[in-house]
Amino acid sequence: MEDYDVRSAASILASVKEQEARFEQLTRALEEERRNVNLQLERSNIPPNPPTSQPLAWQQVVMQEQSPSNATSLAMMQEPQEVVEETVTIEEDPGTPTSHVSVVTSDDGTTRRTETKDISSNVKVTKMVKTVTTRTVRQVPLGPDGLPLPEGSSPLGSYTDSIDRRYMKNGGDRFITPQATSTLTRSYNNSYNDSYGETPESQYVRHYGLHDGYADLTDNYGSLSRGVNFRPPRYPYLPNSYRPENSYTLPIRKDDYGHVAQPQVPMGSSTVDLNRSQPERFQAEPYGLEDDRRSLGPEEEEPYELEPDYSTANRRTLQGANRGRTHREPLRDMPRVRGYPDEAIEAELIDERHPYIHGMYSAPLALPERGSMASLDRMGGRRSPSIDSIRKDPRWRDPDLPEVIAMLGHPIDPVKSNAAAYLQHLCYENDKIKKDVRQLKGIPVLVGLLDHPKSEVHRKACGALRNISYGKDNDNKVAIKICDGIPGLVRLLRKTNDMEVRELITGTLWNLSSYEPLKMVIINHGLQTLTNEVIIPHSGWEHEPNEDSKPRDAEWTTVFKNTSGCLRNVSSDGAEARRRLRECEGLVDALLHALQSAVGKKDMDNKSVENCVCIMRNLSYHVHKEVPGAERFQDPSALQAPGSAGPQRKKKDDAGCFGGKKAKEEWFNQGRKNGENDKNYDTLDLPKRSEPSKGFELLYQPEVVRLYLSLLTESQNYNTLEAAAGALQNLSAGQWTWSNYIRATVRKEKGLPILVELLRSDSDKVVRAVSIALRNLSIDRRNKDLIGSYAMRDLVSNLPSGQQRPAKNLEEDTVVAILNTIHEIVTDSSENARSLAQAQAIEKLVAINRTSQSARETKAASHVLQTVWSYKELRNALTKDGWNKSHFQPTMTTTPKATKNGKPGYDDTTLPLMEKNQGTRKCGSGDMIPMDELGPDGYSTIDQRDKDCKYKAVDGSVDQTEREPLKNDTNRKHYIRTNRPAVSLVDACDVKPQPVDSWV
Amino acid sequence: MTSCMAGQPLTVVVQRIQIQKLRHGANLILGFSIGGGIDQDPGQNPFSDDKTDKGIYVTRISPRGPAEEAGLRMGDKIMQVNGWDMTMVTHDQARKRLTKKNEDVVRLLVTRKSLEEAVKHSMGSYPRQ
Repeated sequence: MEDYDVRSAASILASVKEQEARFEQLTRALEEERRNVNLQLERSNIPPNPPTSQPLAWQQVVMQEQSPSNATSLAMMQEPQEVVEETVTIEEDPGTPTSHVSVVTSDDGTTRRTETKDISSNVKVTKMVKTVTTRTVRQVPLGPDGLPLPEGSSPLGSYTDSIDRRYMKNGGDRFITPQATSTLTRSYNNSYNDSYGETPESQYVRHYGLHDGYADLTDNYGSLSRGVNFRPPRYPYLPNSYRPENSYTLPIRKDDYGHVAQPQVPMGSSTVDLNRSQPERFQAEPYGLEDDRRSLGPEEEEPYELEPDYSTANRRTLQGANRGRTHREPLRDMPRVRGYPDEAIEAELIDERHPYIHGMYSAPLALPERGSMASLDRMGGRRSPSIDSIRKDPRWRDPDLPEVIAMLGHPIDPVKSNAAAYLQHLCYENDKIKKDVRQLKGIPVLVGLLDHPKSEVHRKACGALRNISYGKDNDNKVAIKICDGIPGLVRLLRKTNDMEVRELITGTLWNLSSYEPLKMVIINHGLQTLTNEVIIPHSGWEHEPNEDSKPRDAEWTTVFKNTSGCLRNVSSDGAEARRRLRECEGLVDALLHALQSAVGKKDMDNKSVENCVCIMRNLSYHVHKEVPGAERFQDPSALQAPGSAGPQRKKKDDAGCFGGKKAKEEWFNQGRKNGENDKNYDTLDLPKRSEPSKGFELLYQPEVVRLYLSLLTESQNYNTLEAAAGALQNLSAGQWTWSNYIRATVRKEKGLPILVELLRSDSDKVVRAVSIALRNLSIDRRNKDLIGSYAMRDLVSNLPSGQQRPAKNLEEDTVVAILNTIHEIVTDSSENARSLAQAQAIEKLVAINRTSQSARETKAASHVLQTVWSYKELRNALTKDGWNKSHFQPTMTTTPKATKNGKPGYDDTTLPLMEKNQGTRKCGSGDMIPMDELGPDGYSTIDQRDKDCKYKAVDGSVDQTEREPLKNDTNRKHYIRTNRPAVSLVDACDVKPQPVDSWV
Repeated sequence: MTSCMAGQPLTVVVQRIQIQKLRHGANLILGFSIGGGIDQDPGQNPFSDDKTDKGIYVTRISPRGPAEEAGLRMGDKIMQVNGWDMTMVTHDQARKRLTKKNEDVVRLLVTRKSLEEAVKHSMGSYPRQ
């Protein structure tokens, strides 16, 4: 017991030291910076003087590492109180093994003391102390190290500056009385004194002895934190002998807890505020699942920069500071003497620093992080040397993981929340720790905390779960699911109005949704809630639109992005998932509204839009088979020529929707070869509805065509482009009435040129999706003619010329898709076949047929060639160009696969899709039958996507990634590979568009 | 190096490179690829020092292509194309600017790290503009 308390005292000291050191570093940096500015000003008159002098070398280091603190330190300087500023800079500098101290007293009463000493052979510590003594006339006692002691250091407490302690042996033996505490926080000591000076001892006990004791300081904190000058109270160093009973008892210790808890002060609201600032630090990004990725930042070499985004820069800075300094890790294996009760204090310290951080620093300094970072460092293997010097105190250690997890069950809420926040921090970007948390059964405890009434607690628990749920280790996701984490998250989503918590929840769900087996669970528990709570309100869609007000725009909030990402993932989970989403009330309506709003505002490149389009694309897949009542719209004429009558038209006739039979007949007859009658092609009668369509019906209304075409025209986001083209592809497949309308509407809305233009896209997947869409669109005879006339060159130019790939170097899947599209276009159209020959395609096709390394490309090219040769009227021209029959016959020897299926006949496996379908459907009205054999050239965008990503993952997505190891990217790829089934639609992790790389 | 503070004068060492496009059928080929642009994620640019730099960078050079012949190197940052600024353009704008069908020659202004370092190491001399 006694022992234990001693340790607590030590830990308090350590905290104090740590904070002090931080502050000192900061202020010292400022001072140095000012000096440097002066120096530079002086130097500026002597231009090319090579920097020989010592200060300049130092200056660089200081500027790099510390300059962000300037602004704040300056603010501090203006404080008319006594201010002592100190900075320590440790730098790597093998030169000048000198040690000198210089004290300069300037006439403004400022004392400058510069001390340079050699700590080790290659570490130089330059210390500078500046004491500004203002009007306060008081005896300034000198500490044992010769430094002036700050005001208020009474003889009672021979407090010395912690900076000096760091360089003094046995410095820790000194102690201070409670009164001294008031002077510890020098920069604001007057106000502090005023409030707490009278009864220092009792205050002391309350403030530092009790876990929750700091709550009664919160008013003070609050006001202080508003100003720039706030500084958290230092925990005084306490000697072993000086210690009021149970003052330092830390809450974790159950036996001590009892009497500590009694004088507990209820947590004030300001305490909550204090805590509130915390997530900004622990939270890696404003949005959910990118947490883990951000921490890749530190690994990358980058110059220090002033970065306003404090929260994301921290780690980098710390790391950067690390790099610049000497790495010493003497404490890695230091004896763990400290019991875990101390952790609570540390956790508190973390909290308390926040106002400080947010109030003071506009730039990322490693300092504020240090409390938690240091402990993370230990676990994650990174540490800051300046911490090391503090941590030389062997009585200080961090909690280990079981202790943190145990703290989740602590009776005091702040301990719980701090432990959860700390866990979140530890798990960040550390798969090992995530796994450990899981194995130590931490996940059920965190899930349990989701139902905790205190927002602090459930927020932090949620944050921890978000980080744990991220990554390729699906066991973590499953562990969350097993303890009913998914309903827990959804329940919390319904309860909370805190936007931040909602972001965390939806981010976690997004992470979870990337794992196939959890998709249906999320749908079962969360679909309607996510739709009602997030999608609908943020989309701007209103169930009963107010006639007077104009429609609301969508808000691209993080919550919306996370939620749409989650739904995007779950929407790829097969027919049942699609059915559930389609029938989810308001979902399709809201998504469409959001997209319309994006188009209206020309804001189409963001992730939320991408997610929405992907959901729409997925839900459009197989609509003609899966939506209720689809059979009523089936077009049996598809089995014959598309021009013949079908029941759907009868139905519409009955409804009186069609203007005249004649026009309609013409429209449907336009597919007849040579039977074109142009004048009515672009006037299309659409069925009129007695009431506006809603819900899933909206998916396939011809109105959506314009939306997708707008996206295809305007968006710069390849994923969005691909998804929009994929949606058109899905909608134009199949043989039901609606796909007829869609195909005609695309033409009417002048969509064909838009699509053809995208054949020139630099993105492989966009080219592929567009190509397949064109193939489906050419089921419409008129489209086929137009595409044959206008798209042939662009299609052909995407083909490789034999061994030599064109500049774009498209993937095999894309080449095969293009070949199959060409095949579809030239089928039943000798005119198109002629265009093909005129586009110099024969040479390429023959080259592919003969020399391609890909069996699939060979096959597809071979089918096109056969079709072309089948037009006898073209043979003359072809022969004139130097071709003969042998060029158009399938090659038997190119690949083993081709040999296997050697016969040039039309067996299923070798046939491109359209021909295969011809077996059942006389005319090439392509359906989106996913064909494993042919893969992505099948019509399904969903299956294709899978393959797409698998391919990408295996192949490294073209050589771009191989040559440019992009940190985020490679990581993501890796992840995608492990989650293969979910992938493409998924993209939970595939958040950023791939970097574009264009050959010119 | 190329990162700068707003309002501060920026000194960049540049090199002029002139590339004669190679005619290949209907295509004009420069023989290199570009990455970057203000619409791209600058954090993924492996060549930039400053990860907020949204400039256009040369990401690949095809061997023995026109760009290589002209001395362009992987990692070069393209500052101008035929006098047009390339430091504040979208990826596609840059691509289009480089692939004008009616221009057989592009003159690039590029900067690269080795250039800057070379200049720095040459004592006391200021980079020529």
